[in-house]
Amino acid sequence: MSAPEVFQLSLGPLTGIAFSPDRSQVCVCPNSNEARIYTRNGDSWDLTDTLAEHDKLITAIAWGPNTNRIVTCSQDRNAYVWTQTEQGWKPALVILKINRAATSVKWSPAENKFAVGSGSRVIAICSFDEENNWWTARQIKKPLRSTVLSLDWHPNNYLVAAGTADGKVYVYSGYIKGLEAKPEANIWGDKLPTGHLLAEFRSPNGGWVHDVAFSPSGDALAFVAHDSSINIIYASGPNEPPAAHIVVKLPSLPFTSLTWTSESSIVAAGHDCQPILFSGSHEGWAISRSLDDPSSTAKPLTPTATGARAGGVGRLGNNEAFNMFKAADSKGQRGTPQPGATPTSAGLTPVGSDGLLLTVHQNTITHVEAYEWNQSGEVSKIFTAGRDGRLVVWSVTGGKGLTGRMAGLQV
Amino acid sequence: MAEYAFRKINIDALEEDVLLPSDLYDPDPRGPDGVLSDAQAKSTEVRNLISRGDIPGALNAILTDPPYGEGVDEAKNLTKNALLLILNSTRASEIPAILKSLGQEQQDHLMAYIYKGMAAIGQGSDVTGSVLLNWHSQLTEVAGVGCIVRVMTDRRTL
Repeated sequence: MSAPEVFQLSLGPLTGIAFSPDRSQVCVCPNSNEARIYTRNGDSWDLTDTLAEHDKLITAIAWGPNTNRIVTCSQDRNAYVWTQTEQGWKPALVILKINRAATSVKWSPAENKFAVGSGSRVIAICSFDEENNWWTARQIKKPLRSTVLSLDWHPNNYLVAAGTADGKVYVYSGYIKGLEAKPEANIWGDKLPTGHLLAEFRSPNGGWVHDVAFSPSGDALAFVAHDSSINIIYASGPNEPPAAHIVVKLPSLPFTSLTWTSESSIVAAGHDCQPILFSGSHEGWAISRSLDDPSSTAKPLTPTATGARAGGVGRLGNNEAFNMFKAADSKGQRGTPQPGATPTSAGLTPVGSDGLLLTVHQNTITHVEAYEWNQSGEVSKIFTAGRDGRLVVWSVTGGKGLTGRMAGLQV
Repeated sequence: MAEYAFRKINIDALEEDVLLPSDLYDPDPRGPDGVLSDAQAKSTEVRNLISRGDIPGALNAILTDPPYGEGVDEAKNLTKNALLLILNSTRASEIPAILKSLGQEQQDHLMAYIYKGMAAIGQGSDVTGSVLLNWHSQLTEVAGVGCIVRVMTDRRTL
């Protein structure tokens, strides 16, 4: 397994991140009202452009792989579509008609429209209006009762899934009349007028939904919620209950983002600071391994999310300061104790004796997305970005077989 | 000093589609009366099991379908008292084995009751903090911090 590539793009959190189609550029928001475009230069990234039009924090960025357009959305209730010209990137206005912050944005697979989620309890499906030279929105309102935190498009370009702050996941029709051909019936529904609700699911313990994602085929939907659960739903047919709703409850802290790497595997990451690979099928899902592989580093890194172990308790259990006070209390010893060996309880992020996490990311991971695909169409590399300002590219396949090294096809 | 009075305005006052607490979870299908009679039956069963020394059985019984939500305070109290009785009458050395025999759902419920017990200390509760802390630490080792997160997130308060 090749070691992950690590880039420190910012000292603060990265609130939005998107790669250019050829992966030579990356657009990130360093927790501010500006998006920055960096160009890859060997092992470093050079700042080439700054997209400054928003007045408040940018919450999400999406870069269309086919049309090479960037869309940014922000807490200032606006979104802009950026097009590359000879004079640099030019913004186009989007008429969102929302009165709270925009939280998430995703291009549809055909890139003729995009969806924006917001705190004003609507999903805006936006398409280009030739007459006025701006983007207009059609809003989906019912039955949303809370902030839409995450969105994902079905590969057929018509359906959109949304995860909300009240712990629900909805599947809607995002069809826009006059823009595209009438959709055909599919496994999620047969009647598809704009904004029609096709399915609704709830997180097992009522945790708010951090991220949703359709599988590559679109027949399954996965989401991660704040009750430390990952849910996978298999659709069975229009107006039918799902064939399976699989819940995996974790011993670790909640995940905030996930991405499918194939029809039978998912990578999820979050407050635990390490990406975890899951695999499964209709019958059930389970943790496969952590991508933050202990054998590839010299440090005794232990992906504790994979199971229980005996020892002390709490996040402090392996912390130097904690151990020092503990030794002073129980044995009357002063000075530095032995560096904590391995993390202790189930689901804990390992902490080194220097106080740094033994994981590559030093804070919550907020984005997981596909980076590179192999010939068979499966994801071979993913990237993660987090509150520590780091961008990390991980190899998903690899391990023992040749598949990892054969990855060269870019989509 | 920044102006912050606007933060106290109830911005949902004129909104029709306000999110209500009842939208956040499904009510118990047994109804308040069914929940109460269930809780009474279980409370008696637990006392019998404890007197026979079957702690795992007692814990298993009380943590299956516990009462939650609003309007079932009496049932909640009965269940809580029965549960604290179990925690008190378990030998410390037996705790890890008992915890491992519980299902994941039951471990989550037990964690919720441990926190509930901690909240009740000093209000006439007959359970001591050291007993609860011991259970808490052993349970965290088995079920992980995810179990605590689920208790904090869950709106179906036990």
